[in-house]
Amino acid sequence: MIRVSHLTKRYGAHTAVDDVSFEVGAGEVVGFLGPNGAGKSTTLRILAGFLGASAGTVTIAGHDVRVDSLEARRCVGYMPESVPLYPEMRVAEYLRFRAELKGVPRARRSAHVDDALRRAGVVDVANKTIGHLSKGYRQRVGLADALVAKPPIVVLDEPTAGLDPNQIRETRALVRELGREHTVLLSTHILSEVEACATRVLLMHKGKLLAEGATERIRAMRRPTAVDVTIHGDLSAAAAVLRGVDGVARVDPVASAADDRRERLRVTFGVAGAASEDADVEALATERCVAALVANGVGVREVRAADGSLEDVFAALTLDGGAAVPTAGGTESE
Amino acid sequence: MRSFWPIFKRELFAFFVTPLAWVLILVFVVVQGMHFFVLVDHFANTENIAGDETPLSAFFGNTVLHYMVLFMLVPPMTMRLFAEERRSGTIETLMTAPVSSAAVVLAKYAAALATYCAMWLPTVLYLVILARADPGGRLDTHVAASAYLGVLLVGAGYLAIGLCASALTKSQFLAMVFTALVLLAFFIMGVGEFVTRDGTTMHAVCGYLSVWSHMNDFASGLVDSRRLVFYGTMIALPLFVATRAVDSWRWG
Repeated sequence: MIRVSHLTKRYGAHTAVDDVSFEVGAGEVVGFLGPNGAGKSTTLRILAGFLGASAGTVTIAGHDVRVDSLEARRCVGYMPESVPLYPEMRVAEYLRFRAELKGVPRARRSAHVDDALRRAGVVDVANKTIGHLSKGYRQRVGLADALVAKPPIVVLDEPTAGLDPNQIRETRALVRELGREHTVLLSTHILSEVEACATRVLLMHKGKLLAEGATERIRAMRRPTAVDVTIHGDLSAAAAVLRGVDGVARVDPVASAADDRRERLRVTFGVAGAASEDADVEALATERCVAALVANGVGVREVRAADGSLEDVFAALTLDGGAAVPTAGGTESE
Repeated sequence: MRSFWPIFKRELFAFFVTPLAWVLILVFVVVQGMHFFVLVDHFANTENIAGDETPLSAFFGNTVLHYMVLFMLVPPMTMRLFAEERRSGTIETLMTAPVSSAAVVLAKYAAALATYCAMWLPTVLYLVILARADPGGRLDTHVAASAYLGVLLVGAGYLAIGLCASALTKSQFLAMVFTALVLLAFFIMGVGEFVTRDGTTMHAVCGYLSVWSHMNDFASGLVDSRRLVFYGTMIALPLFVATRAVDSWRWG
């Protein structure tokens, strides 16, 4: 449905998107993952026809966005990151305007608007002025707008930004439901969001596509390869004990400015940075660490898995491309 | 061009749902009403009126009030057309819908022009009053039609300039100032017709650009093809530039 090849967008000397290529098939829910400023929004804006590419081609449902811009735009329902709306219009009024603008025939317009209102969960505010709505409702009106023409492709730029936890859960459920009828491409900088919604992940960093792969692969990569151990006693002695444990690669003190008496060590397992295929390796090594500490008279107060952050995943991907399907961009950056 | 209607309707809606349009129309009607009153009073109390001077021609061109009103009204009417959408980001949803740049520009322009026409609509009443006041019924409808054509053309040209300014900047304030400056420049060139010596090039240029002499022609029933070409250009050129500007955002 979406085919992007060698897409590049430059702003003067700054390259926002650098030689990005990927494909999205019909019925897929694809998550665009990357930290802020990675070039996700720029890529989506080019897909939606708002920005022009400096180089490369984008084809939406067979229509080139440059040559056949109107047809390509007709196939996409796009929700921009800031969800811009006309504050002076009422919700249903706005959706009717958008439906007409997107070429929904008059006879089917009301049905489309009703459907979009229902699916986005904004039926109860249909007659309210948009300017008076809360952030959560505005976000959902933006979603309704993306759906109103029933486009084959839905592109959502950070659909859960600024929502409260309940609304985030609802939005994720909605995105999953959309996947049944539409091809969905959404961007986010939150790893768990992609895990919750998407079947496939595209990882972007500094304008380059680092890697792509099924969500399970990314989830596996996030599995912690390190634990933080809080001990009571002599820090250097404890570190020496831990270094002797089988499977431990590194032991570093973790600065805890809040409380000097609680000493914390970060224990990294296996080969630095790389995730092993077997989850039990880390778990068994953790057990051995605790047993060794206790046997040597060191009090263990807390053992906690170090958070597998987005940075860890990036590190894993850039260091070991074998975990996911590496792209041209990914191998180059090594 | 199928997207023309929805955008046109939304723009009109945006004009009339905010107080701005109503304030502008109110100001306009009050000023024009006073203007009309002063003129009628003047003509009623003057014994010997210069031959070709009629209340109609005076109302539509012979006083500075006519132009002052246009300076004050056109910039605030056009400043928000594009600048507001770009500032608030709604331009992103608008331009990612299947709409062509030309349709967007023309729809917004047509909405501004329709509002402008709505502003002038109450002044038709003055003609009715004049016709009734003259028992002979000698109100020349052709001259009135020509005067309104002039009003339409001048307004259409000014609005096109205003729309273009709005497409060139993200700031509504800058768009307003820029529009006002351009309109003022045209007006000052017109004044130049009176201060330059007859026969010089400057005099000819000023005469050609002078909105004052244009309106005097139209208000006395003279529809000159040079004026039509002038205003046709003044409408088409800014609209073309605005369309190219809308296209160019994509590459910014």
